[in-house]
Amino acid sequence: MTTDVIVPVDMWEEDSEGVITSWLASDGGEVAEGDVIAELMVEKIQYELEATASGILKIINDVDDIVEKGQTVATIG
Amino acid sequence: MTQVKEKERKLTIARAMAEAIAQEMRTDDKVFVMGEDIGELGGVFGNTRGLHEEFGGERVRDTPISETAFIGAAVGAASDGMKPVVELMFVDFFGVCFDAIYNMMAKNTYFSGGNVTVPMVLMTSTGGGYSDGGQHSQCVHATFAHLPGMKVVAPSNAYDAKGMMIAAIRDPNPVVFMFHKALQGMGWLGTEKEAIVHVPEAAYEVELGKAVVTRPGTDVTIVGITSGVHFGLKAARILEEQGVSAEVVDLRSLAPLDRDTVIESVKKTGRLIVVDEDYHSYGMTAEIIASVVEAGVPLKAAPQRVAYPDIPIPFARPMEQWALPSPEKIIAAFNKMKED
Repeated sequence: MTTDVIVPVDMWEEDSEGVITSWLASDGGEVAEGDVIAELMVEKIQYELEATASGILKIINDVDDIVEKGQTVATIG
Repeated sequence: MTQVKEKERKLTIARAMAEAIAQEMRTDDKVFVMGEDIGELGGVFGNTRGLHEEFGGERVRDTPISETAFIGAAVGAASDGMKPVVELMFVDFFGVCFDAIYNMMAKNTYFSGGNVTVPMVLMTSTGGGYSDGGQHSQCVHATFAHLPGMKVVAPSNAYDAKGMMIAAIRDPNPVVFMFHKALQGMGWLGTEKEAIVHVPEAAYEVELGKAVVTRPGTDVTIVGITSGVHFGLKAARILEEQGVSAEVVDLRSLAPLDRDTVIESVKKTGRLIVVDEDYHSYGMTAEIIASVVEAGVPLKAAPQRVAYPDIPIPFARPMEQWALPSPEKIIAAFNKMKED
C-alpha cells in the first residue's frame, strides 16, 4: 500500500505558496510514521513535514521546488 | 545473520547545532546560551531551535542588541567557571565587540598565567550569496584566525557541525564556531543539499584542529572550508568528467591549522588550488600556499587561489554572484596550471 505525503492544508495560514528547503530523509530510504522528513518555508518561517506512514520514501518534489498546500510531495510505500 | 544498520537520520547544520547544544545542556548545568533572538525565535539561523522551550529563559537568554555587553558578560561568566555559548548573529558585527573577543576572551588565560580558563563558545554566521549587502555577507576567516589565543572552527556538513559543537563546548579554550549561512538549510539563505547528512543521535566529538580528505584524488588538491569545500566538490565532479582526479580537503579548522593533512595531499598530487569565500589578500589561501611552499613540497605548477576579490561585498545580485568563488573559477584555475 502506498500512502501520499501531502502538505497539510492548515500548515500555514496565508494563501501563499511554500518552498521545500530540506529533505531530512533520502529518496528510497526508510522512514517511520511521525518522523520529521522535510522542512518547508513560507515567508522565512519554517514548517516541519512528518511521515504519514512507515515504509520506503519516494520523493516527488526536490529541494527548492515551490509547492502548494494540499500538494502530494512524496509517497511512502 | 541479520545486519544491524543504524536508521538514516539526516539533519541540517542548524538542527545539528541545536541538538549538540541541547545534549550538552542536559548533562552539564554550567552550559547556557545568550544572544539576540536565540530564545523563543530559535535563532534567525535556526541553530537554537527548541532550546528555550526545553530549558527556559534562565539558561537560554535573549539579550538586548549590545554585543559589547553580552559577549563581555559571557567572558566574565566563563572566567568564573560557566560555559556560555553566545551568538554573534552576523560575524560582520564584530566591530563593536572585538575588545571583549580578542583582548579578553582570547587572552585572559595568558594574562592570568593559566589560572583562569575561558571555556566559552562564540558561534557566528558567515558568508553571502543571497544579496544581503556588505555588512551581512562576509566570512572574515583570516581576521579571527590571525589572532592568537582562540580556536577558530567552521563545519561544512551537519555531522561535523554536531561533533565540533560538542567538542567546542567541552574545550577549556575559547572557541569561535563559524557557520556558513548557505549551509544551514534555512531556504532563504540558499540551500546546499550536501550539507544535510546522516547524524548519529548519541553525543560524539569531532576533534578540533583536524582537516579531513572529503574526496580522494591524485592529480590536484583543492583545499577549502565551509562553502569552499562544496565549490571544490562540485569542481572535482566536473574535472572527473574531463579525466582529472581531484582531491578535496576540508580544513574544518582555521586555528589550529592542520598543515600536515594539506602537505601530505599536495605531496601526492603536486598541484594545489585553495578556495575561500574570505577576501583574497592576506587570507587563508595565502597561509595554506605558504605552508606548502615552506615545507618544500615539489610542485608541478604554481599554486592558485580562488578567493573573494578585495572589494566590499556588492548588494546587487549579478555583481555579488560575479564576485563569489565558484566551481567554474576553480576549473579555470586548474586550466591555468596546465598551461604553466
